[in-house]
Amino acid sequence: MTGRDRMVLIGVLVLVALGAAWMLAVSPERKQASQLSAEVSAAQTQLSSAEGKVASARAAQSQYAAAYAAVVNLGKAVPPTQEVPALIDQLAQATNEKSVNFASITSTGASSSASGVSSTFAQLPFTFTFEGSYFDLEHLFRQLTAFATPTAAGALQVDGRLLTIQSVRLAPSSNSSQPGESGAGHLTGTITATAYTLPASQGLTAGASATSPASATTPASSASSATSSTTPAAIVKVTP
Amino acid sequence: MRAVNLLPMEQRTGQSVGVGRSQGGAYAVLVLVGGLALMAFLYGEAKHQVSSRRTQVASLNEQAQQAQVAAERLAPYTSFIALRNQRMQAVETLIDSRFDWAHVMHEFGRVLPSQASISSLSGTIGAAGSSVSVAPAATSASTPLAGAGSSAATASATPPGSVPTFTLTGCATSQSTVALTLERLRLIDGVKEVTLQSSTAGSASNGGGAAVAGACSGRDASFNATVSFDPLPSAAAAASATKSVSDQTGAASATTTAAPKTSLGSGVTAR
Repeated sequence: MTGRDRMVLIGVLVLVALGAAWMLAVSPERKQASQLSAEVSAAQTQLSSAEGKVASARAAQSQYAAAYAAVVNLGKAVPPTQEVPALIDQLAQATNEKSVNFASITSTGASSSASGVSSTFAQLPFTFTFEGSYFDLEHLFRQLTAFATPTAAGALQVDGRLLTIQSVRLAPSSNSSQPGESGAGHLTGTITATAYTLPASQGLTAGASATSPASATTPASSASSATSSTTPAAIVKVTP
Repeated sequence: MRAVNLLPMEQRTGQSVGVGRSQGGAYAVLVLVGGLALMAFLYGEAKHQVSSRRTQVASLNEQAQQAQVAAERLAPYTSFIALRNQRMQAVETLIDSRFDWAHVMHEFGRVLPSQASISSLSGTIGAAGSSVSVAPAATSASTPLAGAGSSAATASATPPGSVPTFTLTGCATSQSTVALTLERLRLIDGVKEVTLQSSTAGSASNGGGAAVAGACSGRDASFNATVSFDPLPSAAAAASATKSVSDQTGAASATTTAAPKTSLGSGVTAR
């Protein structure tokens, strides 16, 4: 064996030794480091998602007081129960403002669930009878729909019960119930309208208090599944 | 003369420079040691990376878990906000789906000429059966319309796409006034079509205040017309339309005092 052959052999042995060191020690560690790098990325993504949820939840927490007030305020438009006395008071107040006589209120059917967008609300049909002039009645109709109206800013202004007028019938009044009236221009207006109530499965605030929500607040998605209400109809007839 | 090689035997031709006595083994050892040092450095670096990344993953997982716990703790707030949004949207949709009866009544009073009067006004919105009716004087309306409540149980009183249609019955002093009335009715915002059903002038023999068909007196023409409105928009479109209608209503209210007098029924006069 010449000296050159020995040098080649030694070089090969050195390379084999270094290759073995690479394969057995360095490469597995580098591979593991690479895998851990992917795990770090996944963990960072998970953390970002969780932090996003926390930020959203904290934003909801900061809005809670306003949201609670809004929900309670919406309860004036759509209460959890029939609240017929409040409806009568509201109508009586409106008629007093418009010089209209509030003659009667009659429940015209059992409460039923509305389909479509109002699936969470139960319907309460009523028939109201008012007496007044054409334009007084017109203003009254406007006020009946103005109990719950959208504002120009896109918000909701709720001053009373949400009513959907479905039919209106005006006829000259057969008798003038108010003293001093001649009867000319005096009309009887019969209005069929629908009021709404929240489903029985939900309360006004779904168990939330003014300071904190209920731990088991009904989610919005599941709340919409309650579509029917078996609440009996309000049987009310008032003739002031 | 014989040449003599003065170089030592180990340094003569055929031997690599620097091989020396170890026959290149020293270089091989040096290369091996250097290579192993490099491998040790790379191994250590990789080991450090593994260690630090393990720590980082553990830290991130812990933070994520804490965030999850915090989010779950605050979940009722999120649910409550969702409940609020759902209710507001439902109420807004119901509000937007309403038909503005008051505005239409106001418009009828605003556009009718002073020489014309309405004796009957009935309106229907699509299949919902909603109606406005101003009955003649002979009709008693003291009894509530108990049967009308059945229409209230329908899904929506004014579903999108339904067409509000009103039927007018009234009196005018002449046929020209009837024509003017039809033209004026077209001025109501949202009116799509005004169709005359009939217009019949009273005969001279019925003069002197005697009642005729349609409760018109003398030579007054009794007319019957149908007013069709544009189909009701969807809830989203209605929301934007409500604003414009509201603005127009405000403008119309300002003109109420200047509107012509409209006679309703028999001797019922509205400003």
